[in-house]
Amino acid sequence: MATATGTATDLRPALAAVVGDEHVRDDAGALLTFSTDATPLQRGRPDVVVFPASTEEVAAVIRLANERRVPVIPRGSGTNLSAGTVPHRGGIVLVLTRMNRLIEVDPGDLVAVCEPGVRTIELAQAAAAEGLLFPPDPGRHTTATIGGSGGLRALKYGVTRDYVLGVEAVLGSGEVIRSGGRLVKDVAGYDLRRLLCGSEGTLAVMTEITLRLMPAPEEAGTGMAYFKNLADAARAVSKILSSGVLPVTLEFLDRVCIDAVEGYSNIGLDRKAGALLIFGQDGDRHSIDRDMRRMAEACEAEGASAITIAQSEEEAAGVLQARRAVLPALSRLEPLTILEDATVPRSRIAEMVGRIQEIAQRHGLTIGTFGHAGDGNLHPTVVLDPADEAAVHRAHEAFAEIFAEAIAMDGTITGEHGVGLVKLEHLERQLGAEHVALLRRIKTAFDPNGILNPGKLGS
Amino acid sequence: VTLETTAPDSPEHRRGIFTQELLDRCISCGFCLPACPTYGLTRVETSSPRGRINLMRAIETGALDDDDPTVVEESSFCLGCRACEPVCPAGVQYGALLEEWRDHAWTGRRRPLKLRALLWAVRARWRVRLMGLPRRHARGRGDGPSLMLGCFERALYPKVSRAAKRVAPELSVPAGQGCCGALHAHNGELERGTAMARALGEQLPGTIVTTSGGCAAHLASVVGPERVKELSQWLAERDGPNGAAPATQLRIGLQDSCHLRNGLGVWKEPRALIARHGEYVELPSAGACCGAAGTYAILRPEDSARVLDRHLDEIEAADLDAIVVVNPGCYRQLEQGIKRRNLRTRVVHIAELMAERS
Repeated sequence: MATATGTATDLRPALAAVVGDEHVRDDAGALLTFSTDATPLQRGRPDVVVFPASTEEVAAVIRLANERRVPVIPRGSGTNLSAGTVPHRGGIVLVLTRMNRLIEVDPGDLVAVCEPGVRTIELAQAAAAEGLLFPPDPGRHTTATIGGSGGLRALKYGVTRDYVLGVEAVLGSGEVIRSGGRLVKDVAGYDLRRLLCGSEGTLAVMTEITLRLMPAPEEAGTGMAYFKNLADAARAVSKILSSGVLPVTLEFLDRVCIDAVEGYSNIGLDRKAGALLIFGQDGDRHSIDRDMRRMAEACEAEGASAITIAQSEEEAAGVLQARRAVLPALSRLEPLTILEDATVPRSRIAEMVGRIQEIAQRHGLTIGTFGHAGDGNLHPTVVLDPADEAAVHRAHEAFAEIFAEAIAMDGTITGEHGVGLVKLEHLERQLGAEHVALLRRIKTAFDPNGILNPGKLGS
Repeated sequence: VTLETTAPDSPEHRRGIFTQELLDRCISCGFCLPACPTYGLTRVETSSPRGRINLMRAIETGALDDDDPTVVEESSFCLGCRACEPVCPAGVQYGALLEEWRDHAWTGRRRPLKLRALLWAVRARWRVRLMGLPRRHARGRGDGPSLMLGCFERALYPKVSRAAKRVAPELSVPAGQGCCGALHAHNGELERGTAMARALGEQLPGTIVTTSGGCAAHLASVVGPERVKELSQWLAERDGPNGAAPATQLRIGLQDSCHLRNGLGVWKEPRALIARHGEYVELPSAGACCGAAGTYAILRPEDSARVLDRHLDEIEAADLDAIVVVNPGCYRQLEQGIKRRNLRTRVVHIAELMAERS
């Protein structure tokens, strides 16, 4: 475990003076449970954990950290998959779960205003109660707090950052700024709110977020199609998108995933198929019927072996079950599951999945790939026994090759999970030295003493 | 950047407190956090299922001592409601892990005094019978399955087994039943709790019907789910679906039994029975722990009351005529809470509700 910084001797009383004694933890058990997030194998012990309740308290903690030169690692529910919230250099873990007020949902301005500790599902439910939609739908929406996330509806509706209209944030320097607000159009100044989205807690801590909402669609339709191989499925995806349809759902499972899901949940999937494509549309009944028909035709034209369009809500739930069961099914194959998010242009999905399989075979690993076919966001997932240190090492090598392939195909090392700790070593290869140097200068402007999540993005 | 990669500990570093496969299942995704009542109260990772599994891993490898105050506190702060299990994508058997944890942690003088007295009271069959003697629980033979009497229910709510017998006269109530051992298994006496369930399974022939969700789940885990039926589950199988209109206009809610819902997956059946009797109202927290949690209400009364609060808020807001329970612990918990708040809602066991119709 990483050693603590040793600067913590009188941190506790100083932090307690800010947030109250009961909202500071430095007992060994608490430090242990805040040493990790959802990333396998990554941990680092913090010196202290603090739970502020307001912007003022966050700013006071940041100012204190500047005085003492102690790292601050902001954290929500800890669902990060790239060790972005692992305190590998010790310091203060700043937990935002107490800042969970949903301040307002305004159907007139079509906005919601909330604190950062609000979970995505809470926001979506509050919007739905007003007949509105908050579209970002990350896989962990029941747990994840409002942060940069992509999810299952990104092709049609975009990702979380597309919905952030305004933020209030405490900079690494301790100053408080507001950027944007309730307006769809606002070009006064640099677009700092978008810069802060996905900055992984290295520039500032958001303390209030204003989000754009949309009118909720009336209904949704769901269908699925099997293909002999992923190349056929990928051509069907291109055909769908060039047929004038912008689907809300376009997800795929490769052969390894189909096999794992069927082995786990016995829902009648065809284990001989090479790929499964799940497609869906929302809107009014007429356009759903039209789009579902067009998508089914596109699949048929590319040689789909069986096409099903759900005729009831139960059937639709059954189709989506196949997609939802992928992670549970894969995770049951071996004790350790490493889920990545390399992303390529959608025209190259089949090529990329083929490469991933070659890499898996060469390293003697089981890698299942599933993901968002509509936006090329793949989730190559390796399962292995962590006691097998050689296999852990081979997995590390395999992912390095997968990221290199993604970059070579004009893709990215991370579509939605973030760079964090685990992908920092691959970042410069994608961005180039000048770009990385610019990130460092931006980081310095926000956080002159380098206290915010140091050793990660921009460090 | 130096990456700290800690490979999981090799087998020789394991102390053998936990079954390795159970502890290895957790993939740390965090899906369990919003389902956990104690995480809901605190919003602190340490008091979540994922946090507690990390604590278990730490005592298993010796990274934390058995006497570490946080470890001791969290082993007891957990309600043991198992709401984390149905939402877990990796299939972690958290309830089984907690039993192993307490089996290790709550030995000898570390076991709370109140708990020692309680477990002692129901350990011997004759003492359990003594508890039921002054009260009139159901008696008599029938040609149907065996009705299990439970230990605390026969002492606190003997009317429940009588109601069950009225609803289903074919139930047979063998005399001399002991305790099923659920309390022991959940509170640090795993071996004894298992032995008691096995003994009860031998005493009661054939299918065992129980009016206690907690007992049902424990008994089923030992003698097999095919032999154990909770009353509403058994009635649903006996009677099949019923499309009849509700008999009354009462507004009736339900408090699920955690282990019945999360352990055995039984939650539709009591709702269907209630809908035959009146207007069923699904409270937002119907499926969440009420804070009774076996011995929890006795061991940690303040936390138990905090967990109960939102249930009482919802019962009050819905202005229910009745709230139905399927477990004696929940019965006592809700009765006391409703009395404290002076609400008009009455608490009834599902057996009593069904008996009112007949």
